[in-house]
Amino acid sequence: MLSLRIAARFLKTSPGQSALIIAGIAVGIATQVFVGSLITSLQADLIDTTVGSSPHVTLLPPDGETTLPGSYAERVLDSEPLATDAVAVRDFSAIYADGDESLPLSVKGGGAAGIDGIYGLSGRLVEGAYTLADDEILVGAGFAEATGVGPGDELSLLLPDGRTGAYVVSGVFDLGAAAANERLAFTAAQTAAAALGLETDAYSAIEVQLSDVFASTEVAERLASELDAVAVDWQATNEELLSGLQAQSGSSAMIQVFVLVAVALGIASTLAISAVQKTRQIGILKAMGMGDGPAGRIFLWQAALLGAGGTTGGIALGYALIWGFSFAPVPFSIRPEPQFIAISAVVGISVALASSVIPARKTSRLDPIEVIQSG
Amino acid sequence: MAERAPLLVADALEKVYGSGDIATRALKGVSFTLEAGEFASIVGQSGSGKSTLLNLLGLLDTPTSGVVRYNGEDTGALKPSGRAELRNGLIGFVFQFHYLLPEFSVWENMVMPRLIAGVAVNDAERRRGEELLHLLGLAGLGDKNANQLSGGQKQRVAIGRALMSEPELILADEPTGNLDSSNSEAVYELFRRVNAERGTTFLIVTHDRRIAQQTDRILEVLDGELVQDVPNDYRSAEKD
Ligand SMILES: Nc1ncnc2c1ncn2[C@@H]1O[C@H](COP(=O)(O)OP(=O)(O)OP(=O)(O)O)[C@@H](O)[C@H]1O
Ligand SMILES: [Mg+2]
Repeated sequence: MLSLRIAARFLKTSPGQSALIIAGIAVGIATQVFVGSLITSLQADLIDTTVGSSPHVTLLPPDGETTLPGSYAERVLDSEPLATDAVAVRDFSAIYADGDESLPLSVKGGGAAGIDGIYGLSGRLVEGAYTLADDEILVGAGFAEATGVGPGDELSLLLPDGRTGAYVVSGVFDLGAAAANERLAFTAAQTAAAALGLETDAYSAIEVQLSDVFASTEVAERLASELDAVAVDWQATNEELLSGLQAQSGSSAMIQVFVLVAVALGIASTLAISAVQKTRQIGILKAMGMGDGPAGRIFLWQAALLGAGGTTGGIALGYALIWGFSFAPVPFSIRPEPQFIAISAVVGISVALASSVIPARKTSRLDPIEVIQSG
Repeated sequence: MAERAPLLVADALEKVYGSGDIATRALKGVSFTLEAGEFASIVGQSGSGKSTLLNLLGLLDTPTSGVVRYNGEDTGALKPSGRAELRNGLIGFVFQFHYLLPEFSVWENMVMPRLIAGVAVNDAERRRGEELLHLLGLAGLGDKNANQLSGGQKQRVAIGRALMSEPELILADEPTGNLDSSNSEAVYELFRRVNAERGTTFLIVTHDRRIAQQTDRILEVLDGELVQDVPNDYRSAEKD
């Protein structure tokens, strides 16, 4: 521990130099934390907008079949640990006709709780109540505006087999996307069964939401092999978005690598200067019998102290930047990513340690006579 | 039973600095033996090789040829860590220049060899340190930064540092070179006392014959060679 004590004293006796290098590391780490959290939050926001209120994996009937058993929903929840919600739905298309005007609707029938789990409708109602009793229907804000219907109004729809179905609007939702708000509607499962002329246990799809959206591909594969069904995941249908996100992650990683390189060069050069400045002291310590190992460790400790100080300061500064950003007029907020911050801390300290290797080795090789003789 | 090996043996020590045209033969085969408890001095003109010899004996430098033995052990065969251990535990070195650590206080400098040895400084040692500071005329300066002392004070701290770890052997290179005569007197009195009370061996380099006269044995180096090695009755010298 003498090495640590000496390292601390060396740093304390040149406060200006120490403060500068700590500030340098802090700025680097703060940039890391801020940029990293910004990109991560931005992507999370984008992904949430895209798939936050839609199924991540959809199970469809296998080739040659037109329906799936409703029990699949429970089986998915039982067997798939990543599945947070699963609902058996009956999809049918219908047409709203009012004089000249006709609007196509895609109607989804399912249990009120299950539907809410996937689409979060109860939190996205703009009018009416979230109920799905027999013959009730929930419509989107766009559809409601175009047709002028509202909660309590009756709605007649032309069904695929030519019949007409009569429904009562129970609520109006806003899913945040124009297409969904104009085209999508929800009914109870038995209402959809009547419209489709289906038996009680026949469903057109099982919709699943996961705790990890990026696990959808493997989950889809697992479910397809376990159940007699075809599984489609959101990533397969959103390739462009994903490659965009990946490019963004790549450039953010590159920025971070360059920041780290700059931090490493800063620490390395400061420590190299410090090692030269302290050659005399190291020589004296060695003349008094300090071993090569402990002498070298003085600079490792210096680096560790600088790295720890700079990283702590940098994380604090990063948080401050993120907090400052919350006042910026942008439509999303940055969440500090704890995992990302942990990585920055580990990287910051390791980079500091790595950049001390050369001065530490030079120090451990120093022969005390070089100092004692040169006066 | 074999006789106990002498504390220190210098056997045909040669030291050549540089090589080719610029080679300097600073030592040309110096041999002598120092028994435990001796109080000896090395004299010689400037450039005669005194510091070179002391650096070899202090295991700070390695001879071009020849052997330094401590208690019968050939130090040339030791690993760097073994040499460092001897420097820390067996030998106390007072350099021609003080070589204090400017980042540390007087007290911290004094106990640094103990800290290097990994020894916690206890109350008894603390009292001994205080006494040393007092005897060296440095009472009350323990908490001062080593940088804030005068040259002579620094030199005395360096002497205190060598004595603090109670080594078996003190190698001192012009320890009183920049002290006035009364301070110098006090230092030699202290050395004498430590030699008498603890049996600590002293080998003191000086170019001052008067100082040498106060030791029990005088070794003279001339041009890299040991030209004289005589016992000396320092008490008779005092009477002159
Ligand atoms: N590092 C070195 N490189 C080359 N020559 C050296 C070196 N150190 C000492 N010498 C030479 O070796 C010789 C002995 O030097 P040394 O320092 O041992 O003398 P000294 O007796 O201690 O002198 P002083 O009384 O002035 O301290 C001198 O000629 C000196 O120039
Ligand atoms: Mg000399």
